[in-house]
Amino acid sequence: MTLVTVLLSTIFVAAPYILAALGGLASERSGVINLGLEGKMLMSACTTAIVAGSTGNAYIGVGAGVGAAILLSLLHWLLTQKFSIDHVVSGMSINLLAMGASNFLYGAFANRDSGSIPVLPTLTLDLGSAGKFTVSLYLLLAFILPWAAFSYIKRTRAGLRLFAVGNDPDKARLMGVRPLRVRLVALAVTGVLTGLAGALIVSNVGRFSDNMTAGRGYIALAALILGGWKPIPTFAACIGFALFEAVQIQLQGTELLGAKIPSEAWQALPYLVTIIALACLWGKGRAPQGLGKP
Amino acid sequence: MKRTFAITGLCVGGFVILWLAIASTGVSPVAAVQDLLRGSLGSPKAISDTLREATPLLIAGVAVFLALKTGLFNIGVEGQFTVGACAAAAVALRFPGALGMFMGMIFGIVAGALWALPAGWIKAYRGGHEVITTIMLNNVAAFLTTALVAGPLKDPSQESTTTASITDATKLSHLYNAGPWTINSGLLIGVLLALALSWWLKKTVSGYELRAVGANPTAAATAGIDSKKVMMRAMIASGAIGGLAGSIQVLAFQHRFYAGISSGYGFDALGVALLAGPAAIGLLPGALLFGVLAKGSTQLQILGIPKGITGIVLGVLIIAAAAIRYRRNKVVES
Amino acid sequence: MDNGGSIRNDAEDGRRRVKFAVELNHISKSFGSVRALEEVDLHVEQGSIHAVVGENGAGKTTLMKVLYGAINADSGQVVLDGNPVTFKSSGEAIDCGVGMVSQHYGIIPDLTCLQNLILGAEGGALLNLSQAEQRAESLAQKMGFQFEWRRDAAELSPAGAQKLEILKLLWRNSQVMILDEPTAMLSPADGEALFQSLRLLVAEGKTVILVTHRLPEVFGHCSRVTVLRGGKKVAERAVTETNPAELAELIVGKKLEAPSVHTPVLGDLVLEVQNLDVRGYRGDLATKSINLKIQSGELVGIAGVDGSGQRELFRALQGTASVVSGEIIFGNIEATKLRGGSRIQWGLRSIPEDRHSEAVIEDWSLEENASLGLQQLSPFAKNNLIQEKERMSEAEKMALMFQTKHGGLDQPMSSLSGGNQQRFVAARALWNAPKLILAFQPARGLDLAATREVYEGLRKACDNGAGALIVSYDLDELLEHCDRIVVMNRGELIEPGQGQERDRNVIGCLMVGAA
Repeated sequence: MTLVTVLLSTIFVAAPYILAALGGLASERSGVINLGLEGKMLMSACTTAIVAGSTGNAYIGVGAGVGAAILLSLLHWLLTQKFSIDHVVSGMSINLLAMGASNFLYGAFANRDSGSIPVLPTLTLDLGSAGKFTVSLYLLLAFILPWAAFSYIKRTRAGLRLFAVGNDPDKARLMGVRPLRVRLVALAVTGVLTGLAGALIVSNVGRFSDNMTAGRGYIALAALILGGWKPIPTFAACIGFALFEAVQIQLQGTELLGAKIPSEAWQALPYLVTIIALACLWGKGRAPQGLGKP
Repeated sequence: MKRTFAITGLCVGGFVILWLAIASTGVSPVAAVQDLLRGSLGSPKAISDTLREATPLLIAGVAVFLALKTGLFNIGVEGQFTVGACAAAAVALRFPGALGMFMGMIFGIVAGALWALPAGWIKAYRGGHEVITTIMLNNVAAFLTTALVAGPLKDPSQESTTTASITDATKLSHLYNAGPWTINSGLLIGVLLALALSWWLKKTVSGYELRAVGANPTAAATAGIDSKKVMMRAMIASGAIGGLAGSIQVLAFQHRFYAGISSGYGFDALGVALLAGPAAIGLLPGALLFGVLAKGSTQLQILGIPKGITGIVLGVLIIAAAAIRYRRNKVVES
Repeated sequence: MDNGGSIRNDAEDGRRRVKFAVELNHISKSFGSVRALEEVDLHVEQGSIHAVVGENGAGKTTLMKVLYGAINADSGQVVLDGNPVTFKSSGEAIDCGVGMVSQHYGIIPDLTCLQNLILGAEGGALLNLSQAEQRAESLAQKMGFQFEWRRDAAELSPAGAQKLEILKLLWRNSQVMILDEPTAMLSPADGEALFQSLRLLVAEGKTVILVTHRLPEVFGHCSRVTVLRGGKKVAERAVTETNPAELAELIVGKKLEAPSVHTPVLGDLVLEVQNLDVRGYRGDLATKSINLKIQSGELVGIAGVDGSGQRELFRALQGTASVVSGEIIFGNIEATKLRGGSRIQWGLRSIPEDRHSEAVIEDWSLEENASLGLQQLSPFAKNNLIQEKERMSEAEKMALMFQTKHGGLDQPMSSLSGGNQQRFVAARALWNAPKLILAFQPARGLDLAATREVYEGLRKACDNGAGALIVSYDLDELLEHCDRIVVMNRGELIEPGQGQERDRNVIGCLMVGAA
């Protein structure tokens, strides 16, 4: 194992986390607790696979996947803002809905004989001894967007209003800002980003399988919390998780004090670290004050 | 009025989507519902199987419900169930007989409680959201028990990662077993738990205090209630019940532990608890409904409808129930 | 001219054609079955400060929110500068030059001062912060204010927040400025400074509508005054043509008897606080070495502007805030480390500051709320079992005590109006011979008559051996009802000298640390 392999693997693993976590950032900064990241990613992954598989066109596939995630996100807006359903409840029911719907849709409509689905064009870099590294559009987005999000919040009117609504929707309303509209836009953005994350996950594998997002939405949310709801620290937290995962893949099969460590122990490591990080680091980042408020 | 309209619209919309989904597979929705009901409630055997499906959901539902009343979302029942099942199997295998069964349950309860403890502590004293920590703990539980069942607990005579089966004397006995009817004592435990919780929440001071913390933690603190301690205790109790559900799954139904034994019971239990409504009694029909869907979905798969349809049904039901429950007239003050 | 002075003035006005910046005609608004406003008129001359006075619940704030577009009136007409307008949202009102500073301020603490200033009127999709800061600075200089624009607004004092609110109006180029109880949280000196700024603005042709219940402000700074009572306009006067006595009568509707002076019979110490330090929300010390003694029989008021440490002191006494150092002694029990529940067991009762979040559980029935805080005590509980019959009868008594209007004790607390909730909470705090009562703005949301009743209830409890500690931001309320007043200022508690415990001037100076 070389440092370069680990680093490349980290970047590769981190991309869906970053996209999803930024999606969570948009929604939670506007005050909507978003446990539904997982479901939106899953829905996008499934739709992308079905549409890309049947049309043979990667762009249409990704477009459909993102569209599905946006639809689910708008449902989320409807439930939390118009029906004032508890944010955690609506997020979890969206996940449940997505789990069922993705299994159903894929089972009913996917063309399963078509092999790997078409994916967006990529650029392959030959790194000599370290192997090859594939740069995709998603990867570029994942590494550009955190900085873009940072300037967006600091430098634009929409960013300021997003921040204000997430902190105190009532006061923002008195200043002529419309919280419902701000949140609608924020959740649509969440849809786009989680949609991309889902499409990326299914593109990496080549075909859809049940529950293939495998809890990445929750990890992304944990990264968002550890990152104090700020784009750059959140990005760093995602990289941290990915690094653990990359190292873990490399460390499997190693021995400690003469005993073989089961691979599951390494696999559990990132989750354990999250728990410990939540236990230790909480309080460093301040949550948006209006989180979960009507 | 407008709101009632909107909620009706939401429910009708959900129903239409379901209808269209089923119809899109080429199956008549009416036939699908008939098959679903026939498969789950059509015969004594089917009813027995449905109740068997409902039992772990009911007990795990009680676990989630208890936490929910404290304002906590214990998504970690999945993990507590798994460690409970694993602990119960390990103990029951070592001590065959009634003692093993009894100790298996105790160890399952303790394992579940211990598994919930970090989440409770982090929530109460560090402010970390319990949903995230419990989901992380679920993953850790899955990996940990898989490692155990692949290593020290593995039955060497088998290919797959599973423990050996517990002896007949160690099994949790049937409550009623005659002809096509088989009803396990586990169901009785679940029903008693739901009734006891219902009574406890309503009639005891500690239940009152727990509900106060769930409804308004600040007001509870002002009322002299140690919210943090209550949260901690509720989470641990919830985990203990989750562990009990896992141990009963092993002792009554599966008779062994294997990787992936939970198959999403934790998430389904959240659905049961959300559907139950304000009173714990509601857990009984909630669990039954889930049992019907779980059992009936096998029937639907035979018809060619993917099993994900039940997830859609549940999602729609939970959303509709939540929308109706949270309907509230806002009092506007000048 | 051969006519009298007043007539000549009118004639002159007629020639000048009085120009109204704002005309509200026949505004009505109901919330459910409650008529908040009934055919209310308000005409405000351009370039003047116009006062709107009335009791709590008279409809002042509702009327202002109608003008500001935050509430849609059921009927009536809003005319600005002679043009009828209809606002669907505050944004539209802001665009037409109407600005409002609400009672609790619209400052979002996590935003910087500059972000707060420009929010809602950013002037373009991209922010140009340095340019914005320049303009902000020039506005501030004009008013004689100083701000560190890039700092969090959370660091602002109440007076600083108020100044920022004024600048927000200027930033939006508001021609009509509505100020809702602007001095409620300010010290007298800061309040005076605020009015200096307002005069400056009026001189430039801006129009100010001042919602207040403090008559000295009306007579010191306003030109006309409109009185609301029970959602109706009862009078409009030029300030020069009325006097405080008349206005007070118009506001209340009937003359109030002067409160009888009370000589309390003092008993044993019920509370002793020694060198108490409590940490505040931000981690700094919110109370600094507080010493206080309360004997049974006395009502002690704490005067001071909002955020002087009253909240933290109360929480420490309730056992919901952790004490850094110092001692709390209840009667003869060392209580510094006592759990909240044990304090209630001993005899501590409270009327918390924030009714919604601290005092009641709105989803629960009145009956269940009756035992909130008392749940461990007999007759509410016996061997950890809830005694429902007893709870019901106690709840009935609580509802009767201050005539809480309700639709059945099994109805949820949220079905009650704020004032009725407060009555119920006050009754609960007086239940069963309390030893020490902590009341944080006990009159909040109550009309004058109910306020009196609640204070009479407190007085009766004290006569029966309790001691009471009362926080209010309204010094006059404390002067009227308390036996003795202490002052909190920036976390310190100061006791006025002998014989000055009820001296308005001395206490006013202490509130701002001017003594």
